[in-house]
Amino acid sequence: MSQVKIPVDLILSKVVEESEKVQSRAKKASEVLLGELDTELAKTEYDVVYQEDRVKLKHYRPKTKIRYKTPLIVVYALINRETMLDLQPGRSVVERFLDAGIDLYMIDWGYPTHKDRFLGFDDHINGYMDNAIDFIRDQNKVDKVNLMGICMGGTFSVIYSALHPEKIKNLVTTVTPTNFDTKKGLLHVWMKHVDVDRVVDTFGNLPADVMNFGFLLLNPARLMIDKYVGFMENVDDKQFVENFVRMDKWIFDSPDLPGEVFREFVKNCYQGNLLLKNKLEVGGRRVDLKQLTMPLLNIYGKYDHLVPPEACEKLIDHVGSTDKKNICLDTGHIGIYVSSKYQKAFAPEIADWLKERDALEKNESPPKKAAPARKAVAAKAASPKKKVVAKSAKTAATSKPKPKPSPAQDPSETTPS
Amino acid sequence: MMDKTEETVDINAMLNMGLKFYGDLWGRMTDQWATFLGQGQTEKKTANGTFPKAQGAMNAALKNWQTLATAMAAPESVSSLLKGSGAMPDVLIKMAQTSVGSFLELQQSLFQRLGRVGESVKAYEFQDMEENIFRLWTDIYEKEFRQFFNVPQLGLLREYQEKTYQTMDKFNLFQANLAEFVRMLGLPFNHSSQVMQDKLTRLAENGELSEDVQAYYRMWIKVLEGHYMTLFQTPEYVEVLARTVNSLSDFHAARDAVFEDMLYLLPVARKTDMDDISRDLYELKKRLRKLEKESRHS
Repeated sequence: MSQVKIPVDLILSKVVEESEKVQSRAKKASEVLLGELDTELAKTEYDVVYQEDRVKLKHYRPKTKIRYKTPLIVVYALINRETMLDLQPGRSVVERFLDAGIDLYMIDWGYPTHKDRFLGFDDHINGYMDNAIDFIRDQNKVDKVNLMGICMGGTFSVIYSALHPEKIKNLVTTVTPTNFDTKKGLLHVWMKHVDVDRVVDTFGNLPADVMNFGFLLLNPARLMIDKYVGFMENVDDKQFVENFVRMDKWIFDSPDLPGEVFREFVKNCYQGNLLLKNKLEVGGRRVDLKQLTMPLLNIYGKYDHLVPPEACEKLIDHVGSTDKKNICLDTGHIGIYVSSKYQKAFAPEIADWLKERDALEKNESPPKKAAPARKAVAAKAASPKKKVVAKSAKTAATSKPKPKPSPAQDPSETTPS
Repeated sequence: MMDKTEETVDINAMLNMGLKFYGDLWGRMTDQWATFLGQGQTEKKTANGTFPKAQGAMNAALKNWQTLATAMAAPESVSSLLKGSGAMPDVLIKMAQTSVGSFLELQQSLFQRLGRVGESVKAYEFQDMEENIFRLWTDIYEKEFRQFFNVPQLGLLREYQEKTYQTMDKFNLFQANLAEFVRMLGLPFNHSSQVMQDKLTRLAENGELSEDVQAYYRMWIKVLEGHYMTLFQTPEYVEVLARTVNSLSDFHAARDAVFEDMLYLLPVARKTDMDDISRDLYELKKRLRKLEKESRHS
């Protein structure tokens, strides 16, 4: 057997070089970590214009002239918080929509407590969502609104649009699971084996920490090791640290999931796949996707490990709309919203698509807002505490995994060929 | 009145039986140990054909215990043990007889159960012990130990005792499942280390080793990620995950039941009270909203 040559001298000198770098990084890191950091999220100004129980309707203050006939309401998932769409100035979907001249509303689902454990799909979709949409219709004196749903909020939006098509002008779904009969995403594999009755009957609401732990388990190598190694490597970079902490705050700022919603989502969707089969019943009414006839834009991520393309792309084949379009972006579940690169493609794409269907004519003025006719909470401005200079964000600070091929990698693929 | 000789014979017989049982038990354990060594561990003999120190000591200890127990069971030893017992009052002898008898029966039952632990272990083959150890413990616990927590309780406090035992039982099951789950999560680390060793050997043989330490980290994290992704899709992992979640729910429910009893003594609302109120509130609100909507549309 031939003698193996190992460049020990080179490796050692590299180690010494690295340790010197680490030392100097540690010095700078202490300055960064002990100094003032701006890690506040969701700074764009808004008013809470309607509130029902824990659920609030935010209305973002326009930054420019409204250029659309119809207001847009964004419905986020009940998992994590809608603040992800407004991480920081310069890296905010909300900001981009406002810059495009969209009159923007967003539902904040709040933090469910013990008393919310019995609230299911019907209460959220035909209750809170419907009331918020009615409020916007009343306030703007319009018959219909534009609706955009995100992830589980997208599933809610699809159900809502099929049940109340007369209230929705255009529907945009992003990373929205509608086909649950796939083994591509790990959630789809795992959820089929969860005894959801046992979990919900015991816990009531699904605790956020349990959910977060489950999400970390989707990719422990990246989310529990590599993410923090990356942080340590850049701990001397103030901007990186700020972005990282902001993202980390968002990730672990998770409300509990109302027990009945979790039960219905797992049983009817993940285990039964009833939505695409037109067999789902919400509030005693069957959800018939053929009733969903408004224009539909369906956007999803090619490398989404939570809601893979297979879970999203079939929707347009089942709806009654004739004007419908799928867009697959080369990114993951969160990257669509937070990566600077994809934000530039994603938000303007939606704004343009809506403009083609809903732009005001040159001499037309936007709908005038009426005084709130229904229960509305006194407007509360979320004023930013301090101004930040928007810098180009490092996407590496995002703690969700970087875009990568399929999660179903064979370890043998990782060995050298 | 009973004859004293008859009493002595009774105790003799009982002690004989007990001591013989101990002798047999140690004999069985020695046999099992030998079988175990014979099955998978023979390669662990030292070069001169003897067992390493620890194994040798274990063999010797088991043999000694067996010899001692057999010697104790001999009639002359029993008689010598009982020497002077005739001086005891009848009632004490009777009490001792009953106590010793019950104790021996319990002991026998316990040791028989422990003996069966060895049988359960055998079914798993010790070669795979590292792989199966936690599954093994869960099975042993379920088959041999958890019955102790299901022994019927009696009397005024029966319900409370039952709930406490149920909590302990569910906790043990959860711990066993969790241990198995955690072990499974550790597997990709072992496998990725092996892959890395192979990779490094190959790189070294080709003279392609990088001097950049970070390159090795990147290589390792990629391999580790791949192993995790493979593991997470296996039916075994999904099964263990589901079992762990279920046992956590069961433990949680059992623990809540105990806390509910404790809280009942205090002037505070319990979880079930809050559930009832929440449900009432939920239904009332729903009816109210329905009426509100109807009145708005009419």
